[in-house]
Amino acid sequence: MRLRSVLFATLPSLALFSALCATVPLSGPENVPDDASKVGLRTSRKEQKPGVFREYPGWEYNNFPLPPDANVPGEWVFARFMYSAVPTWRGRLNNWTIDYPRSDRHLSAAVRRLTRIQTRSVEQPVAAEDGDDIYNWPWLYAVEVGHWDLTDLQASKLRDFLLRGGFFMCDDFHGTIEWETFVASMKRVFPDRPIVDLPSTNPIFHTVYDLDDRYQVPGEQFVYTHRSFEKDGYEARWRGIYDDKGRVMVAICHNMDLGDSWEHADNPLYPEQFSALGFRIGINYLVYAMTH
Amino acid sequence: MFEFLFKYPASVFSKGTFVLLGSWPKWALFAAIAAAAGILAWAIWRRRAQFAPSLRGMRVIAIWGLQALTLTLLLIVLWQPAISVTSLRPQQNIVAVVIDESRSMGLADMGKPREQIAADLLNNGLLKRLGTRFQVRLYRLGAGLDRIPDTSGLQANQRATRIGKALHQIADESSTLPIGAVVLLSDGSDNTGGIDVDTMTALEQRKLPVSTIGIGSPELNKDVELDGFSVPSRALPGSRLQARVNIRQSGFAGNRAKLVISGGGSILGQRDVKLRDSPEQVESVEFSAGKSGVQELEARLDPLAGETNTANNELRQVLSIDTTKKRILYVEGEPRWEYKFLRRAVEDDPALHIVSMLRTTQNKIYRQGIGNPNELADGFPSKPEDLFAYQGVILGSVESAFFTPQQQQSLKDFVDRRGGGLLFLGGRWALSDGGYNVPPFTELLPVNLPQRKNTFQRSFVAAELTSAGRTSLICRIENDPEKSAEHWEVLPYLANYQDPGTPKPGAVVLARVDAGGTRVPLLITENYGRGRTAVFATAGSWRWQMQQPVTDMSQETFWRQLLRWEAGATPGPVVASTPDALLEDDGRIQLRTEVRDKAYLPVSDADVQADIVEPDGSSESISLRPDPLAQGVYSATWDAAKDGSYVAEIKAKSGTQMLGSDVLTFRREDGVAENFHREQNRELLQKLAAETGGRYYTPRTARRLPDEISYSEAGITSREIKDLWDMPAIFLLILMLRSGEWLLRRRWGTV
Repeated sequence: MRLRSVLFATLPSLALFSALCATVPLSGPENVPDDASKVGLRTSRKEQKPGVFREYPGWEYNNFPLPPDANVPGEWVFARFMYSAVPTWRGRLNNWTIDYPRSDRHLSAAVRRLTRIQTRSVEQPVAAEDGDDIYNWPWLYAVEVGHWDLTDLQASKLRDFLLRGGFFMCDDFHGTIEWETFVASMKRVFPDRPIVDLPSTNPIFHTVYDLDDRYQVPGEQFVYTHRSFEKDGYEARWRGIYDDKGRVMVAICHNMDLGDSWEHADNPLYPEQFSALGFRIGINYLVYAMTH
Repeated sequence: MFEFLFKYPASVFSKGTFVLLGSWPKWALFAAIAAAAGILAWAIWRRRAQFAPSLRGMRVIAIWGLQALTLTLLLIVLWQPAISVTSLRPQQNIVAVVIDESRSMGLADMGKPREQIAADLLNNGLLKRLGTRFQVRLYRLGAGLDRIPDTSGLQANQRATRIGKALHQIADESSTLPIGAVVLLSDGSDNTGGIDVDTMTALEQRKLPVSTIGIGSPELNKDVELDGFSVPSRALPGSRLQARVNIRQSGFAGNRAKLVISGGGSILGQRDVKLRDSPEQVESVEFSAGKSGVQELEARLDPLAGETNTANNELRQVLSIDTTKKRILYVEGEPRWEYKFLRRAVEDDPALHIVSMLRTTQNKIYRQGIGNPNELADGFPSKPEDLFAYQGVILGSVESAFFTPQQQQSLKDFVDRRGGGLLFLGGRWALSDGGYNVPPFTELLPVNLPQRKNTFQRSFVAAELTSAGRTSLICRIENDPEKSAEHWEVLPYLANYQDPGTPKPGAVVLARVDAGGTRVPLLITENYGRGRTAVFATAGSWRWQMQQPVTDMSQETFWRQLLRWEAGATPGPVVASTPDALLEDDGRIQLRTEVRDKAYLPVSDADVQADIVEPDGSSESISLRPDPLAQGVYSATWDAAKDGSYVAEIKAKSGTQMLGSDVLTFRREDGVAENFHREQNRELLQKLAAETGGRYYTPRTARRLPDEISYSEAGITSREIKDLWDMPAIFLLILMLRSGEWLLRRRWGTV
């Protein structure tokens, strides 16, 4: 009887703990080499084929409706980087899915509406573990990089991706602690390349819109708090990493939440001015990535 | 034998005129022949019933034919046939005996030096026999023609052979001297490009026959020789070039030798070649052009063991490497990855610069690579001269309607008149999907576009080379051609492709894609007017960069070579040229310059000057005169007196306005040509003799020369009539006809 009581108390606890620890599987990779030492070597055409469109459960959204033209290919696709997050007491969470896929599809729609870029209406989650698939998506975005903890393979693959000509944009991380977390992994991608503030004269702020006057773009929390900053990230920082030719190959949007500004562009409570700047920044960065 | 049968030498028949000396008219001969044949036929017909049964049909006709021919010959003899021929009067004419004294005559390929063979031939009777009939003048031939008293001073040391010049000099002398014939003893190794038309005309006017005695073996003997070395005269810095080398060999078939192209003291390219069992073979070596400036290139084949002449194993050429970057205007209608990676591919190219205008939104154009803030500020150039400032144009995914009719015409003129390169890329607004099925694009495109839309497909496809692509330098992504072809087989799939339609006649398909089992052209090139056009029917070659290791340069190499082909050959407003940039022993050079204005229309009133820097650093300035037959063309002839390399800068101006300039390089080499083509050039000597009315002899047959040389129309001559009726050949023929009839009759059993 006593044993039954113990089991009765323990089993539900274990079940609850398991549920809390459950995370979205990283990628379901078709090839799982996971050997960072082989990154950058020549591969076969078969390994280079891109994965088909796929969906994952999001942090906020599940069963987000697919647009009718989801299967129409485009020149540019919102590629979302599926990184590994720092471990928590609940395990490694799926931070890469924050804002996903609503944010992605709103930016895609804006790019389609405001530029001549042929844009696929749906995003593409991209994993470093999927063979050479990452190289098929030369523009890559990651959210909440203040929580990332790249594996060796992810760091190596991201470095190789960038050196071959890819462009990486990251966003939605705030304050000193998240910055340090971001830098810890970024230094494993590029140990020797400095992270610099991008001056307003940089072409990245002038490809489509002249964005000399930029302001901090807050996340959805602004609707409730009316605060444009989170944690100690009082000031928006437009930063980047240059390649050997002085071109921005990593665009770092610190102390701002462009992802939310895209995600909540259709939220009547979220101020339009933030979405307006968010879209302009996104489009400028994208056109820069496609021209430099 | 000929003289035994026909009484006279062959030259009498070749130079004489056939006549009939009989007093009866010619028509009477034909009438008599016809009557004799008719009577004979009538007689046979009457007696046909008495013939043996075996003598019927064609056999009777054969007998009649043989008898009729016999009668015909007898009738001809009755009319006294003869030949009328002009011959030189004894002791009143001069025969010029010209002995080649060039270095090639020192070659001992017939047991002793050729010069010695010629001297022995003359001294062992030929001169004496000629002297009995004519006055003989001896000359020695080299770079010039000098009279000599005898053959004792011949040394075979002249650095060049100019047969044409020497014959022209003799033809000139014959206007004041009774020169009746020329005898040339030579190996025929003329190294000034043969005998010019002027010389042949002068000999023909004076009816001066040149009899030639060919000395030396007509074939190479245990030797390998470079017979030609061709490289483009101009190139862009760092360009991949192909040198073509002609190799001749004798006695070394199957051997291997190293062919090396060097320049500036370093080896630029080399390869092992297997000498084939054929008189001539062409080998190509690829190499990279160096930096800007003039470069002397040398092709060299390593000497083989036992080679008789190693001085003919190397050849030189001059290569001029352009100092200015070629500017290419890239018009793109939408942001796309191909745009980015194309620009990046040529970013470090020292010879190319891309100026681009990209439609980012419906109303915004993003410019990159511009030289000043005003460049392309108003969009695509509206004036032809603004467009003509570029050397190449790339049209990306941009609708044809983006261009006004005037701009479309400018694009056509850009290729046709200005000589620029135009490259069409694939895309959703390109080719037939972009409405390019209209003039003038239909004329410019190297393909006939399909008459439908939706030809742009976002499907991954593999690119593959055609046979033309394998040999094309545009597609050479590795130094080694075989490795390059192998690399193409593993190149990542293209991200997309477009059906460009069918190639036009004259277009070359260098690459194609496998689209679900159907082969679709991918890269097509064509020459159009003065320029070039090409289609690269994809926008997905960016995967060649993203899907290959960082160190792989195939995407960059491909684009650089394609764009160098497109823009590298685009001429400037002033284009200088010369028919022969390598002068061998002869310094005369023809400079030709084409002058155009900013709109690339020919300029007829330009002041064109050439500043020529000579090998020793001194310079000379000459004016070029307008060519009355070609608008905008100016030319001059100049004598490059010194051995070495020359650089000529040709400047053209109209009034005070500078139209442009060009640089031309050429080289003079003395004494080198004698090392080449050292076998007897029998063809030249035979042709020279045949065209002047002389004969070709070998040293063995030269004994006939004194008799045959008499029949000439030059000098002081008299006409002779020589009877032919008593030629043994006629009587022999009659005998054969009669014998033939008897033999046939005997065979048919009638005798």
